[in-house]
Amino acid sequence: MLSSVPHRLRTRAATAALSSAVLLAASACAVANSDGAGDAGAADGSTLRIVLAEEPPTLEPCESSLTSTGVVVRSNISEPLVERDPSTGDLDPLLSTGWRQTSPTTWTFDIRTGVTFHDGAPFTAEDAAFSIDRAVNSDLACNVDGYVFEDEELGVEATSPTSLTVTTAKPDPILPLRISFVEIVPRGTSTENKVREPVGTGPYALTGWQTGVSISLKRNESYWGEQPAFPFARYVWRSESSVRAAMIAKGEADLSTGLDPEDATEENSIAYPNNETTALRLDGTQAPLDDIRVRKAIGMAIDRKAIADTLFDGLAEPAAQLVPDGVVGYNPELTSQPPQREEAKRLVDAARADGVPTDRQITLVARNGQFPRVSETAEALQYQLGELGLNVRILMSDTAAHLEYQLRPFPEGAGPVALLIMHGNQAGDAAFTTSQYLLSDGPQSTFGTQELDERIAEAGELAGPQRQDAFADVLAYQNEQVAQYAYLAHMRGLLGIADSVEYEPNSATGDELRLAAVQPVKGQGR
Amino acid sequence: MTTFLRKRIVSSAIPLVVVVLGVFVLARLTGNPVDLYLPLSATPEQRAAFSAANGFDQPILVQLWDYLGQVVQLDFGESLRTGQSAGEMVLEAFPATLQLAAVTMLIAIVGAVLIGSLAAYRPNSLADRTSSFLSMTAASIPDFWFAIMGVLVFGVSLGILPTSGVVGGPEVWVLPIATLLIRPFGVLVQVVRGSMVAALSAPYVKVARSKGASEPRVVFGHALRNATMPVLTVAGDLTIGLVNGAVVVETIFGWPGIGKLMIDSILQRDFAVLQAAVLLTAVTIFVLNILIDVCYALLDARVRQAVPA
Repeated sequence: MLSSVPHRLRTRAATAALSSAVLLAASACAVANSDGAGDAGAADGSTLRIVLAEEPPTLEPCESSLTSTGVVVRSNISEPLVERDPSTGDLDPLLSTGWRQTSPTTWTFDIRTGVTFHDGAPFTAEDAAFSIDRAVNSDLACNVDGYVFEDEELGVEATSPTSLTVTTAKPDPILPLRISFVEIVPRGTSTENKVREPVGTGPYALTGWQTGVSISLKRNESYWGEQPAFPFARYVWRSESSVRAAMIAKGEADLSTGLDPEDATEENSIAYPNNETTALRLDGTQAPLDDIRVRKAIGMAIDRKAIADTLFDGLAEPAAQLVPDGVVGYNPELTSQPPQREEAKRLVDAARADGVPTDRQITLVARNGQFPRVSETAEALQYQLGELGLNVRILMSDTAAHLEYQLRPFPEGAGPVALLIMHGNQAGDAAFTTSQYLLSDGPQSTFGTQELDERIAEAGELAGPQRQDAFADVLAYQNEQVAQYAYLAHMRGLLGIADSVEYEPNSATGDELRLAAVQPVKGQGR
Repeated sequence: MTTFLRKRIVSSAIPLVVVVLGVFVLARLTGNPVDLYLPLSATPEQRAAFSAANGFDQPILVQLWDYLGQVVQLDFGESLRTGQSAGEMVLEAFPATLQLAAVTMLIAIVGAVLIGSLAAYRPNSLADRTSSFLSMTAASIPDFWFAIMGVLVFGVSLGILPTSGVVGGPEVWVLPIATLLIRPFGVLVQVVRGSMVAALSAPYVKVARSKGASEPRVVFGHALRNATMPVLTVAGDLTIGLVNGAVVVETIFGWPGIGKLMIDSILQRDFAVLQAAVLLTAVTIFVLNILIDVCYALLDARVRQAVPA
């Protein structure tokens, strides 16, 4: 049969076959732009393989309060002077061996000796002073500056190679807690630009970051503390939860952050409280949300238990405040109530009778990927608020658009907005919540009252049990007299974990996944 | 031929310019990226400084003029996200997508020609009906679903393929290519079959057979050449779709191509990278269109003659 095919045709066929073979062979060799670094690493027990939901936007240490950055950088590549124990809330020594308040506005830190940076330079108090000054007082515009230090200027001085003083404008009883957010970098690190490849003192050093593909770390053999079990670590990212779960199931990754409930099984995941609280932020400057009866009615109408049990698969606790248990200021007397629809409807009817335009359309803004089943949650809320006679439309947005509604200055002409937020208090103190979400001019607050502002300011100057009580009162006052938030739930995260490693997640795991705390299962590590 | 090419280049260049301008303007309508790149508590002064540093405070026409001036010098700006050159980022990512697209289309075209021709050779036979059913099914399967099922079945349950990633031997290519392949393959089998059925019943085929030409020569030498035009049209469109970024495949399998880069750039409001990516893909599509038109002209003299000098 082939002999009957003309010579020219056979030549073409041979050429096509040859080119196909060459192309396929070339393809089999390597994928362009992968540089041999696109998978999570070999399953030989020497590399700890982590698959993230997204690529970190930056590895700049002063941006470690960003979840996607902190999960890689904090306490892995760089370290702070002190660290907060997520289980007890106590502060533990790290690069500082001790600290004390030496005057109402001054704290003194003792600096650990015998510590070196990844580049071999010794760590001294000068480096600590430089790092704090860089993160808080420079023009770098670090998140830690505004979120943790509320844009306060600090006086920082290395009084000796092993002693550092930090001075505040007014007494700050939780300054060491704030300092725990400052990652230490060596002097000479740019103060004009954020760094892409950080140098720190942590148990792992960065060896490569191939944009879009992977981040590789190597164990710091001169680490001052206990050596981590794994010589290498590698992060990759897959946006699909099902793919991350599949990588855990197949043994292609050891740990995975942020699994969706439908992808998690008892064998491949562990649930843990992640300090995140979901709520609707109600814009009290726009009718009908400017009427406290309408705002309270929204809070009463939400069936939190139904949402937590069904949409969140039981991985959440109905909430009655913006911070979870374990955070200083948490008010145990504020408990979630079953929906009170009749009373809620009565409040809306009363507002309508007083001329409040309760039929004005409210925009419920939510973000795609904010948490599992976010669009279904928005629809449930829309239905439950609709039962009150409120007119709610849903606007699903991406991160950038959601931020426009989340942060001041808010979009003009947007009308009444109910913003679905998820707030994580990483620091363990309600001050970090109230300054952002409750103050009248808080960056993420739409309104407030003078009395609430004064209560927040007074609580912020207290320490110990008085501080706890004062912030608990602030949270109760917000619910009773301001009602800017209608709460949903305190969330729980799902960590994917393969049977090759042992790790006990805690409330900080989502923000700070300490690789040194991960151990190989006996017989599998090196 | 020169006249034909000149006309085609001019007519194809207009959409190229429209796309590039459209992306520039539409990207900016999504808002200022300041909220994504500055701290939550950034002051108005910091926001203004960020906007000024990146030119976002200028009227859009001024921004466009500056951009075009840079493009002429092959300067595509810097990524807001990484600080890297946008042009370099795009050029690094594009080959990975081209590799996927090329291998996929090669397999799709060769396979579709063989199976479509076989089906057309014996219309309504078991082979024809089977290939029609399978090709229509393939063309109808959502790629997202197919990819996830492929990961679960072949990656996890059977354990014979990696779930994702790009490092390894030929096995890392299987699921991404299978996912990309399924729709073009299904569509092309249908197109080849339809064209070949018409071609095989044409008078010149009967003449060829009456002259004693062998069946392979009749099918591949006479019918297939005349059935190629519609196949070329559809294959060209499908190739353009793949080059434009195999977004789903690249996202699911962690493939470092231009589709994923574009999606990330959109979500991060990384305008410089987005513009560079769109410009490069638009130019590639422009070139592909020219090549397809040249193929038309080479295959069919009527096309060449239809373009007046």
